[in-house]
Amino acid sequence: MSDYQSDSYMDEDYDEFVYSEDESVISISSDNSHHGQARTRAAAAAAATIQSQPSAPAQSQTQYSADYGYEDEECDFFDDNDNDFERAIGTRPTKKAWAVDFKVYDPDGLSATQKATVDRMMPLLATSRGTTTLLLRCYLWREEPLVEDFIADSERTLAKSGLVAHPKPLRIESGNDEFTCEICFTSGADEQYFGLSCGHSFCTDCYVTYAAGKIREGESWRIRCPAPKCKTLLGEESARLLLAEHTDVLDRYEVNLTRSFVNDLDSFTWCPAPNCQYAVECLVPRSAMMTVIPTVNCKCGKAFCFGCKVDDHMPAPCYLVDKWLKKCKDDSETANWLKANTKECTKCKSIIEKNGGCNHMTCRECQHHFCWVCMGPWNEHGQQFYSCNRFSEDSSKNARDSVSKSRAQLERYLHYYTRYNNHEQSVKLARQLLATTEKNMEQMQREMTLSWIEVQFLSDAVDVLSVCRTTLKWSYVLAYYMMSDNQKIIFENNQSDLEMATEQLNELVENPIGQSSIEDIKRKIIDKSTYVKSRWETLLSDTSLGLQENRWQFEE
Amino acid sequence: MALKRIQKELRDLERDPPSSCSAGPIGDEVFHWQATIIGPESSPFSGGVFFLSIHFPTDYPFKPPKVNFTTRIYHPNINSNGSICLDILRDQWSPALTISKVLLSICSMLTDPNPDDPLVPEIAHIYKTDRDRYDTTAREWTRKFASK
Repeated sequence: MSDYQSDSYMDEDYDEFVYSEDESVISISSDNSHHGQARTRAAAAAAATIQSQPSAPAQSQTQYSADYGYEDEECDFFDDNDNDFERAIGTRPTKKAWAVDFKVYDPDGLSATQKATVDRMMPLLATSRGTTTLLLRCYLWREEPLVEDFIADSERTLAKSGLVAHPKPLRIESGNDEFTCEICFTSGADEQYFGLSCGHSFCTDCYVTYAAGKIREGESWRIRCPAPKCKTLLGEESARLLLAEHTDVLDRYEVNLTRSFVNDLDSFTWCPAPNCQYAVECLVPRSAMMTVIPTVNCKCGKAFCFGCKVDDHMPAPCYLVDKWLKKCKDDSETANWLKANTKECTKCKSIIEKNGGCNHMTCRECQHHFCWVCMGPWNEHGQQFYSCNRFSEDSSKNARDSVSKSRAQLERYLHYYTRYNNHEQSVKLARQLLATTEKNMEQMQREMTLSWIEVQFLSDAVDVLSVCRTTLKWSYVLAYYMMSDNQKIIFENNQSDLEMATEQLNELVENPIGQSSIEDIKRKIIDKSTYVKSRWETLLSDTSLGLQENRWQFEE
Repeated sequence: MALKRIQKELRDLERDPPSSCSAGPIGDEVFHWQATIIGPESSPFSGGVFFLSIHFPTDYPFKPPKVNFTTRIYHPNINSNGSICLDILRDQWSPALTISKVLLSICSMLTDPNPDDPLVPEIAHIYKTDRDRYDTTAREWTRKFASK
């Protein structure tokens, strides 16, 4: 992937919040002219929802421009591993119908974002840094409501969180004869004690034990003064002063602070990859998740859905994915199979599958003799050869209908599940394929004196394969819940086109490469990859637009 | 720390006992106390004596004590196991609270139940819709389970 692509992709993160077409202009302002421009873009239906989200657009925009410089420096560093997805698909820096805007933060970036917000709000509220930070945290970083409340009644806004605009400098005191700690009841002039602006003082030992206990439980800024019903918050400065000698607890405190920042904001989430330290910001509102699938790519390489944290599941929306995964997990289909293929012994209720033989059943468990057709006792059928004329036409029809219905349901589920599972397995195999492909690439470089760049097409093709397999896998989930109509047929045609092309590409990549045909194979693979890519894009744009237009009916 | 504090609380209770309740360790167990609450006059529990068990955690007073009724009581915030739904025994616990303050809070809860945050929804419902029936049942239970 060229630096150009990487750079422009990074640009995309920021200027697409306002939908500027001009890549070179990174300036982001919150004035409305950009918004106007944004609305003119036809394909931007998804983004329009994003922009119109009420929560703090001004914040994110300013923030983005402020942070941009930092990201830009990091670009080359991320070039190789941050974006397999983009490299595989090789998108041009134009907005795709299914793409959503997001930004990845490392822990330093998160601190910088918080600091920038506090810096911006401090002159506005005219409060100390500590108080401003706590106010923002109490308002879950929503600046507008905070400013509104503060302007309306600053005293009340502060009092709600037990804060004062400019608290007196905090210090640990001692030498007071009359001091008694309300927690451990020790007293005397030797005792060191500490209190917040509320005036409740406790000895430092108790204060530290109290705060450290809360921090170990995962708390950070929500720690309050230990006095009963006192609302005064223990700010960051107080925590740092008290815990100066307990660096391990203080480290934990800082971790908790960052964690609560990400958890408090709806627009942030942690990357679900194990040991990944990055957080992702995405402004797609919860209400849009029925039609938008906010797939984001973490810098660690993980592609996941911002809404439900499941791995990339385009083109199926979150609620269908949730339903599907639950369905696959529970044994509702086992029950259906039992219903379709078995009957219960009328006497002992053992479950019996009839796999041949006549209708005179003898239960192996209880030796009960009965008729498989009418389920009545066999002795009522007389001693003649089998003829079950006791059987009423209606009940036989009902029985047959319910059996055939559940059988049809099962078959339908299995149809989609087999294909879903098949692609899931293939994605895993594609990873193995990548390993063999790398060997092949080395071999080609050695034997055919090709340069490194000349054999990259092979690993690119494997990347395309796994991306398409993943999409195909989830497309079967979408299809399972989709009601049959004309629109579904169109969707299935797109799906089968992509599937066919993917299989062909898979075959090309897996075939051993002979020396004679290298140029030929390279051309074929590149051609096929490009075709597969375009089919993939077609499927995704079509489904993402279709979901927004409510083109399909989904089963409840 | 926990031990010192519990002993101090015990001394204070002995020196200045609250009017309607008492508490003290069971035998030699410092971390396991028994308490009694006398049903408040203005409540349907008047005339009853209610026993409670108190377990102190080892990190007391930084963690709340575990307080349970051992006498059956008809109350929206106390269930049949004797568990008490009281904020200061859970998230609103403060290390500056003492057993004596906790017992006083429980006393005031007996007079003024909190039916909007009930532990036993059925009793809360009756309390809100048919106060006479609530009072009668509570009085009956007090006579049956909490009389000397």
